[in-house]
Amino acid sequence: MELVVDGLVRRFGAVTAVDRVSFTVRPGEVVGLLGPNGAGKTTTLRMIAGILPPSEGVIRIGGLDIRERPLEVKARIGFLSGDTQLYRRLTPRELLFYFGRLYQMEEARLARRVEQLVRELEITPFASQQAGTLSAGQKQRTNIARAFLHEPDLLVLDEPTSALDVVSGRFIVEAIRREKAAGRGILFSTHIMGEAEYLCDRIVLMHQGRAVDAGTLPELLERSRCKNLTDAFLQHIGNPRPE
Amino acid sequence: MRLSIVRAIYRKEITETLRDWRTLLMMVGLPVILYPLLIIGASRIKEMQTEAMEAHGSVVSVWGDLPEALRKRLTKEGVLACEAWRGVPDELRRDLESGAQSVPWPEPEADKKKMDEATAGAKPAGPAAPPSAPAAEEPPPPPHPVLEAARMAISAREVDAIVAPLRTFKADMEEDRLGRLIIYYDSVRPESRQAADRAQDELLAYREDVRKERERAHGLAEGFTRGLDLASEDVAPPARVSGKLLGTSVAFLLIFMSLLGGLYPSVDLTAGEKERGTMETLLCAPLRSTEIIVGKFLTVWTLSMAAGAANLVSIAITLLRVLPGSALQALTPSPSAFLLIFLLYAPVSFITSACFLAVGVFAKDFKDGQNLITPVYMVFAMPASLVLLPGIELGPWTAFVPVLNISLLIKALLVGEARADFVFLTLLSSVAYGALAVLLAARLFEREQVLLGGRESLRATLGLERRRGALPSPVFSFVVGAVMLVVLFYGSLSLERFGVVAAILGTQYGLILLPTLVCVLGFGFPLRRTLSLRLPTARGLAAAVVLGLSAWAFAAGVLVRLVPPPESFTREMAKLFLDGDSLSLPTLWFVLALSPALCEEALFRGLVLSGLRSLGKWPALLLTAAFFGVFHASLYRLLPTAFLGVLLGYLVWRTGSLLCGIVAHALNNGLLATLSRAATLGGALGVSDGKPLPWHWTALGTAVMVGGLVLLRQVPEPVEERLGAGRET
Repeated sequence: MELVVDGLVRRFGAVTAVDRVSFTVRPGEVVGLLGPNGAGKTTTLRMIAGILPPSEGVIRIGGLDIRERPLEVKARIGFLSGDTQLYRRLTPRELLFYFGRLYQMEEARLARRVEQLVRELEITPFASQQAGTLSAGQKQRTNIARAFLHEPDLLVLDEPTSALDVVSGRFIVEAIRREKAAGRGILFSTHIMGEAEYLCDRIVLMHQGRAVDAGTLPELLERSRCKNLTDAFLQHIGNPRPE
Repeated sequence: MRLSIVRAIYRKEITETLRDWRTLLMMVGLPVILYPLLIIGASRIKEMQTEAMEAHGSVVSVWGDLPEALRKRLTKEGVLACEAWRGVPDELRRDLESGAQSVPWPEPEADKKKMDEATAGAKPAGPAAPPSAPAAEEPPPPPHPVLEAARMAISAREVDAIVAPLRTFKADMEEDRLGRLIIYYDSVRPESRQAADRAQDELLAYREDVRKERERAHGLAEGFTRGLDLASEDVAPPARVSGKLLGTSVAFLLIFMSLLGGLYPSVDLTAGEKERGTMETLLCAPLRSTEIIVGKFLTVWTLSMAAGAANLVSIAITLLRVLPGSALQALTPSPSAFLLIFLLYAPVSFITSACFLAVGVFAKDFKDGQNLITPVYMVFAMPASLVLLPGIELGPWTAFVPVLNISLLIKALLVGEARADFVFLTLLSSVAYGALAVLLAARLFEREQVLLGGRESLRATLGLERRRGALPSPVFSFVVGAVMLVVLFYGSLSLERFGVVAAILGTQYGLILLPTLVCVLGFGFPLRRTLSLRLPTARGLAAAVVLGLSAWAFAAGVLVRLVPPPESFTREMAKLFLDGDSLSLPTLWFVLALSPALCEEALFRGLVLSGLRSLGKWPALLLTAAFFGVFHASLYRLLPTAFLGVLLGYLVWRTGSLLCGIVAHALNNGLLATLSRAATLGGALGVSDGKPLPWHWTALGTAVMVGGLVLLRQVPEPVEERLGAGRET
């Protein structure tokens, strides 16, 4: 199912955090929102995930408008951010069952899906341990399982690898590839250029709340006449790298 | 230890703490505000209750012969009524008169206070303490027939107190001998204590006159004679005394301690979840905010109830371990008393859990949550402590004070003093407060600024911003209805002192119509659409007239039979209908028919109904009718007024015109006032003396009413109201 974002605006009082941003994410496509801190990436993703209402603009998934059908749209999205935490006194398995019930998954399907994710994400060794005792990497793996649990059409990942070491980050990258292969659309934000270059089919460059450019990596490099994404980005924001 | 390090840490902690204004507020602001408020509030409540008590005339029965001068002293217009032999069983009266039975005089060693020990002329002390129970090993002696009869007469409220002279009292007084008499009263009943105090004042004044007269007649020195011996005896059974003990101390302890059981979970489930970063996972799930908040509320409520059960079990076990074998054994409460207390703790924990949760949603983190919720806890726990003060009882002034009303209700039920009307008002107000608090919590939960830890104005948070041109929302109507319920209740009580007519007009125009118009205009709602101000069709108006003339018959014939009112209620209603007042019939119609019709219709079928319209026809009509019913603040008027509310709501819904509601309401009220005034007409219809309408008149009236409804169904519904266009969300 396609995500369509059109003319998205979000204001906080006098500050416009997101200013007329438009893009699409098609099924089986990985789109990266790339920009520095404060570019409006997290606010954009939170609006798409239904956590924040937009001030203006349209968000549609599979033709459904998030303002008109918020529950149906939310049911089609899996949201994960780098700082999302777990309930400390629940075990990963209990947590997955809890969210499965909130998403109204049928019990037999839920049980199967939980076991599948526990196996794939190598959660088994700590699946019965309370989340308060888990390491950051173990928590994030559990969180990936939570976001992917209900098999959403679109995955919205907000800097999912931040604060993770290389080994833990590997699970995220593998999971993204697996979900892409399964035909799911993936929208993720990052400020790590290498990650975007490595994973994304298309990239939206964001700066000061606006989408300053968008396209495939070759397209962006060609338009900017730069050799890498970092230089292309710096040129877009009017801060070219010194020779 | 390096003092420089300690000093650096101390300075940093103090600096940071003093920069947190909430901590400062808790530390200094709360004590500065709370205690004056509590003391002023308690004094005011007590003052109101004292005024109400003083207005209550005491009935004292005399079981024996008194000198005429004393009998006259015991009769004071509107204050003290003295009645001979009231409440005494015939056989006992014969025995007392013949001397076969005598009034028992308390033994000096008994734990009863002899009032003749009081200094002559001085204000006597209050009624005596209850007699202590006999030791566990000895079977209790059979109660004295006179004591037993006195207990029965006072318990049954036939009399407030009994003055029982010894058989020779009258002769003793006439022949200058020492006369003896005793006052029986029930220490648990405030009216009985007041009656005993009033009778005692008169008896002591009489004794002073007798003493002076005898000393003058016989040339004796002052203080040489006593004149009469006066004693008093508390006839409250031990179960009631133990009920009072439980109802005050145990109920207070339970509320004070158990509320903590809901406090910490409510912070943890709201602010704690924000702080831990798990709230986001809930917000992006396909859930309604009400589902989240109700789930959390039920958790807090369950934990608060569990804390209540744990506290109560612990108190019960402690009491059962301590009391057996002691002098207080007779006061050991029954398990059913504990169960009753636990059940009544449910509405208290319902309100407080919802309030804790509503405030917790506001907090940014756990510390912020504690700072915000602790004052709320104090606001609830401190009024509960007022139950410990003597003289504060469940009554009109306390029935709407949250938490305190339930504490007083527990006490009233355990001592068997709870009036059905006050029980109804207490439970009603508790449900209203609880529902308001849950609504508030749900409303706050929908506000992103609150959820994401930001701050916005209270008006914006509560959704009370001015929205020019939009109709009110259901939440707005609900809040207005619930707030008006409390304002009207206390407002009308305050106006009572100015007389019935002034109270009715003041309430209607000052407390109903004016706030309604202020709400509509102040919040920018369109006046004409909100209050359905449009002219009706001729058919709609005709239906209003027919319904206005006939609806009372169904209420007076059927509904009154379902919940028959007590005699005291009928007397109150007669007072309300200005029975015996010298008002002309047109003035009576203005006060009782036109004014309530105009003002109440503007509020209920205008502002409240327009806000509830978006819920659909029948939910809106039934909710408006429920508000209209409870607004009349009486268990016995609830059904008839709610029924009338449904009819009037349907009338305004179908015709789209408030005028139809006003016409029907005015005719209904005017007809009832006329019937209560015109004895001949009332007698002809068989509705005098509060009796229900005879069945044949009921059937006729109901048939006419049904005809009116059929006529009304032929009126086309106005399109605009069905659509509910331009609603505030």
